[in-house]
Amino acid sequence: MSVRVRGCRITALAIVAACAVATLAAARAQTPQPPALSPEEARTIAYGKDVFKTKATCQYCHKWDASGDQGYGGNALSLRKTQLTPAQMAEVVKCGRPGTGMPYHDRFAYTDKRCYGMTRADLGNDMPPAGNEFLQPREIDAVVKYLFAEAVGRGESTYEECVEFWGSDTRECEPMKDTKKP
Amino acid sequence: MRRASLVAMLGSFLAATALTPASAGDMTFERALNVDKEPQNWLLHHGNYAGHRFSALKDINIDNIKNLKLVFSVALGGFESGGRYKFGNLEGTPIVEDGVIYVTDGWGSVYAIDVSSGRRGVFKWKMDPGTDRAWAGDVACCGVNNRGVALWKDKVISVTLDGRLIATNKATGEVVWERKIADPALGETLTIAPLVVRDLAIVGAAGGEFGIRGYIDATDLNTGQQAWRTFTIPGAGEADNDSWKDGKDRWKHGGGSVWETATYDAATDTIYQGVGNAGPDWDPEYRPGDNKWAASVLALSPNDGQIKWGYQYTPNDPYDFDEISEHPLIEAKINGEDRKLVVHAARNGFFYALDRVNGSFVHGRQYVDQLNWTPGLDPKTGRPLNYDPAKDVQIYAEGTHGMRGQGPSRTCPSHFGGKNWEPSAYNPQLGLLYIPSIEGCNAIETVQQKDFVDQGGTIKPRERFAGGGPKTNERLYGSLKAVDPATGEIKAKLRLEYPNYSGALATAGGLVFIGAADGEFSVHDAGTLQQEWSFNIGTGINAPAVSYSVNGKQYIAVLAGSRQMPGVFANAPELKNTATASMLFVFGL
Repeated sequence: MSVRVRGCRITALAIVAACAVATLAAARAQTPQPPALSPEEARTIAYGKDVFKTKATCQYCHKWDASGDQGYGGNALSLRKTQLTPAQMAEVVKCGRPGTGMPYHDRFAYTDKRCYGMTRADLGNDMPPAGNEFLQPREIDAVVKYLFAEAVGRGESTYEECVEFWGSDTRECEPMKDTKKP
Repeated sequence: MRRASLVAMLGSFLAATALTPASAGDMTFERALNVDKEPQNWLLHHGNYAGHRFSALKDINIDNIKNLKLVFSVALGGFESGGRYKFGNLEGTPIVEDGVIYVTDGWGSVYAIDVSSGRRGVFKWKMDPGTDRAWAGDVACCGVNNRGVALWKDKVISVTLDGRLIATNKATGEVVWERKIADPALGETLTIAPLVVRDLAIVGAAGGEFGIRGYIDATDLNTGQQAWRTFTIPGAGEADNDSWKDGKDRWKHGGGSVWETATYDAATDTIYQGVGNAGPDWDPEYRPGDNKWAASVLALSPNDGQIKWGYQYTPNDPYDFDEISEHPLIEAKINGEDRKLVVHAARNGFFYALDRVNGSFVHGRQYVDQLNWTPGLDPKTGRPLNYDPAKDVQIYAEGTHGMRGQGPSRTCPSHFGGKNWEPSAYNPQLGLLYIPSIEGCNAIETVQQKDFVDQGGTIKPRERFAGGGPKTNERLYGSLKAVDPATGEIKAKLRLEYPNYSGALATAGGLVFIGAADGEFSVHDAGTLQQEWSFNIGTGINAPAVSYSVNGKQYIAVLAGSRQMPGVFANAPELKNTATASMLFVFGL
């Protein structure tokens, strides 16, 4: 079942939360002070970060700040600059992008017509690769919420964001020390 | 402290002291030159300086191999996440000296394991260098890897992914000194097992996908200071810098990484170091010219790093056919003449034999099943037949490599090789070189590379610099091939279900040992390659085995536990859920 809510085409489970986060992100782009997150929202975003960073290792291709990369495995788009809605992003995480290196993370993608109405047989060589790990809907929901909270619509990443992502026990962010806040 | 505790502590101290084996002798250059006198040990990365990975032990042999069994295993660490990676891998070659095995994990921890009982491994010590995992793991192209240690005097010499060379007290595990060699700030990492010649430790920097300028670097182990550094990509004013014709100094980020151990010929005091791909990997239009010494072998003096000669396998390489892997030294009679050869099962799919004194081409022959990137090699020079010296950007065969504005290629062998870093093994008694291969084809799609910031562009240090990417639509497979190095003729071959990512061990027992991605550790007849025995250890094997003996009994040791590279195994869904592990397995009769 899918419904259309304020421009977001989404399936039943993700309904309000995904669009709410998109709305929050849009609001944040206009105002420097992000609205306080509920404990549940904060937990979900932290969970999504773990999916992005470690479980699904999205950062391997998209880079830690989701700014995209000209990767060893192909080109990963910038999610900071993406025009996708949360629902569309969730669909791409679930189904991958045919013809590209963006993998699918729904174990049953293309076994039936749940992804873009196509099956493995329809896609042939355009079949996207399988993700290193398959994800459950709540994980996909969380990683999308994480990205809309921390990356989508933001400009260049900053030193502070880097430290937030990696922690302060590594030199990882040193090259960004001179980065000015947007 | 209570008296009872003190007594208990003293007791365990005395017991530990009594159980500690007599301290091993110092590792000397003399011993390194004469490893054949110590067949019970595996003292050098490639078994000997000549790169043979051959054990003279033969208690385990073709007649009794059916009785081989797992005698013990040891769980190691090193699978912690870091940087872009979910876990570290095991790719190392164990070093064995007098009943103690020295192994590394991907982050550079060194483990000294007493295996003298023959029943179990007992940790003597673990040296964890405290690698900055995010810092290094974010600029490792292809996993968290370390290929092993070297021994020198009373120390163990190792590297860390974040760029340090470390000298550790062999008896205690105490770090004696360390030297920063590679700089992750520039995209450089260290994964290579050091080569020790006399008192020099020779390593090289990885980072060919991150815009480094590669080098080979020697440390004086007596002082812990740099002895020399030779860049694999010549700088302005140096010989062969004119093989970079872009006019924009793109040699400064030209790649030529070094990440597998060189061989060494004491007779001429020469090391033979394979050199990696040019950067960016897949946009040759970015770097017109032959791009020396990427995709090459360099013969150097270990004393000062001077280049004696170089031989480039794939000029202006558009395939990522980097050639860092081992270059075994072999004596052969060719046309009735005794020849000193340096040979190489190249990632580009050809087996090459060069005269190791002067670098001249002797012969070259295709060893992979499928090869479409060139119709062959020039019989005189070994150059790819379609190499055109008048062209700055080579078109070896239309459609076999990416070009700007064009769709994906079909490249055979795939960009993984041929043979990747995983070492071959040579049985000098049979005169056969065993090549563990990756067979099949894949696709490369070029994306025009942007310049680095220091050259007016936007690419910052530590960002990827590959000029496109590969895609593997076809299921790759593997092979084991026995090649006569005097002719390049394939004397025996065996198709393997999976691309081989373990490397090989040959023994005087008439056997060849390899590991597989599905956990199968298998033993093959050295003449026919027929499989004689196997045992599935339950996780992928991405490291070569070694053989040693202790108290007169022969063992086979291999590290296991690695990420199954999604690109390589994309079309082997049955491997998808294989979990990594971090284990040392020891087999015996």
